[in-house]
Amino acid sequence: MALKLTKSLASRIVYYVLTFCIFLFLISLSVFYFFSKKSIEDTTYENALSLMQNTVYKTEQVLLTTEKISNNYKYLFESHQLNCDSIMFYTWLIVKNNPEIVGCAIAFAPEFFPEKGYYFSPYTYRENGELHSTILGSAEYDYFVMDWYLIPATIEKTYWCEPYYDTGGVDALITTYSIPFYRYSGNERTLAGVIAIDLSLEWLTDIVSSVHIFETGYASVISRNGTFVTHPNTDLIMNQTIFSWATELGSPHLRDIGRDMQAGNTNFVSFKHEKLNLIISYTPLVSSGWSLAVVFPRSEMYAPLTRISIVLIVLIVVGLGLLTFIVAKIVTRQIAPLKYFAKSAREVADGNFDNKLPEITTEDEMKDLQNSFEHMQKDLKTYIEHLKETTSAKEKIESELRIAREIQMGMIPKIFPPFPDIPEIDIYAMLEPAKEVGGDLYDFFLIDEKHLCFAIGDVSGKGVPASLFMAVTRTLLRSAAPKQQSPKLIVEALNKSLSYNNESSMFVTFFLGIINIETGYMQYTNAGHNPPVIIHENGDVKMFDVTKDIPIGLFAEHEYEEKEMTFSPSDRIFLYTDGVTEAENWDAQLYSEEKLLKCLSLANKSEPIEIVMSVARDVVIHVNDYLQSDDLTMMCIIYYGK
Amino acid sequence: MNLTKKNTNGFCILSIEGRIDTTNFNEFENEIVGIIGGGETNIILNCKGLNYISSSGLRVFLIAQKKLMALKGKLHLCEMQPTIKEIFDISGFSTIFKIFETEEEAMA
Repeated sequence: MALKLTKSLASRIVYYVLTFCIFLFLISLSVFYFFSKKSIEDTTYENALSLMQNTVYKTEQVLLTTEKISNNYKYLFESHQLNCDSIMFYTWLIVKNNPEIVGCAIAFAPEFFPEKGYYFSPYTYRENGELHSTILGSAEYDYFVMDWYLIPATIEKTYWCEPYYDTGGVDALITTYSIPFYRYSGNERTLAGVIAIDLSLEWLTDIVSSVHIFETGYASVISRNGTFVTHPNTDLIMNQTIFSWATELGSPHLRDIGRDMQAGNTNFVSFKHEKLNLIISYTPLVSSGWSLAVVFPRSEMYAPLTRISIVLIVLIVVGLGLLTFIVAKIVTRQIAPLKYFAKSAREVADGNFDNKLPEITTEDEMKDLQNSFEHMQKDLKTYIEHLKETTSAKEKIESELRIAREIQMGMIPKIFPPFPDIPEIDIYAMLEPAKEVGGDLYDFFLIDEKHLCFAIGDVSGKGVPASLFMAVTRTLLRSAAPKQQSPKLIVEALNKSLSYNNESSMFVTFFLGIINIETGYMQYTNAGHNPPVIIHENGDVKMFDVTKDIPIGLFAEHEYEEKEMTFSPSDRIFLYTDGVTEAENWDAQLYSEEKLLKCLSLANKSEPIEIVMSVARDVVIHVNDYLQSDDLTMMCIIYYGK
Repeated sequence: MNLTKKNTNGFCILSIEGRIDTTNFNEFENEIVGIIGGGETNIILNCKGLNYISSSGLRVFLIAQKKLMALKGKLHLCEMQPTIKEIFDISGFSTIFKIFETEEEAMA
């Protein structure tokens, strides 16, 4: 039980602490994750953007240089007289001085130099690090219909060709930048030719492939029509456009992205396709109309966050485990004394008040508990000892009271019928004290052969004091009666004795009668007692007149009245104490003289024992289990006569 | 039982409410003895609210009567309910005490 208590208390506390901590950690982790994610996204966007700008800048450097060179020559050719033989030198110079430039052709319009014929295009190219010069243009190689010549000539603007693999001399991925130049005469402008510069894209491949972002992130350049110019997957280069690839993948989204790239926009988009979950950011290469894209898996972007989160979760789990362990340890240790207190409590319950309590060294609630426990032990011990004493004292008193009761009961006649050899008369009486001993009394005895003296009395109050007074009264009666023949004198003698030194003002209501058993003549004195009832055999019941005399024991000199009456044969006299007429039920209703008289009138032909019993029954029914508050005494005498 | 006290025309009038029986006669005895001990010699006990009295209660009346007789004082009872009057009659106490119908008569 004690162990179980400890366990459950500890586990409950651990449960609450743990629940709270988990709740706290979950919230913290979620907030951390949310903000970190946001921050990573922002940072990644910034990084990708700056990476792209950096790459674009590097690329543009080369492209712009090419454009600048072309522009310079265009200006030169447009503003100076041209010598057809020095043209080759220019091409040679351009290729020589610019390592990215693998070839340069200055293609003149047909018949520009009549001496050179229809075609004239000096061309210098680099092959295996060496420069070679040649004159392009023939019926087989009609450069006037080539894109690099035709398009700029037609649109009258500079033009970047779509990249292509040159299989002729350079054997590399190249693009050609073409710029038309003109001759002016007055307001007239005529096309003089096109400067075409072949630019190897190896440098672009180098720049772009040096771009790394995260684990596997890469960069790629697509040309104006969406062809992959650089891509880690070399199969794609020049073989696929982003659109053909989108078709191959079946992804309209990728097609849309491609269109947006073509449109020259800068953007940061999320691309999901089957297992692919990528972030694609792109920006245009303004001069050439190409677009640079930086691509990386989304998962890699969040990889550090995932890593940190996993580490955090592991730390939290370990931490919570430790917390659980430590809290459980602390709680178990803190409440350990409870087990001993429980044991002590059981021992106390078994009556062992001297068992040792656990030592508590801390000044906390446990110490309070120990103090209280110690206090309880001491108090209980004292209390039990005290209880033992009082119990034994009480038992002693009770046994004394039992003996007192026996003595008291022994003082009143209890054998019925009392005078079996006197046929003229029969008596029955009962006395039921409310407590062990009471203050009611009855008595009857023969003064001589002809005279029966009988009495009933009620001492004020109840219990031991009343019983002592009753005993005194009864004893005085027995000693006074034989000396006197008159109830008045007997009662006055009793009154005198009882009044003497009656400091407590106790008194006895007393009725005493002396009946001549031969004649039925009776003299009586009623000292403040309830009036007896005469029951005639015909059912008439008559209560005696209320006395004017006071109870005995009050005023020593009081003179009592004596009255007389004569019994007819079969008359019964019923005497009682107020315990009968004032017997109360739950509603505080008294049994009353009315009920008594009614009951007695129904018992007009009964023996004394039956009369007393029927009244007793009637009283019991009336009282209905309510506490008996007063002594209950009844006596009935029947006078049969001769 | 509840005892209320007022002084009128040189009488100390005590009104008794409720019952006087073996459970509370002590209380009644202490109060009335205390009042007599406090110097009141002319006492009227108004029994209008007295519902029940046992022999123990009668004893207290008697003690009061005796004490006041010794002090040459007066103890007047008044406004008794019929049931109480009956008890006084049966026990002969009606002859010991001066019993009046009303408080005014008791003071006269």
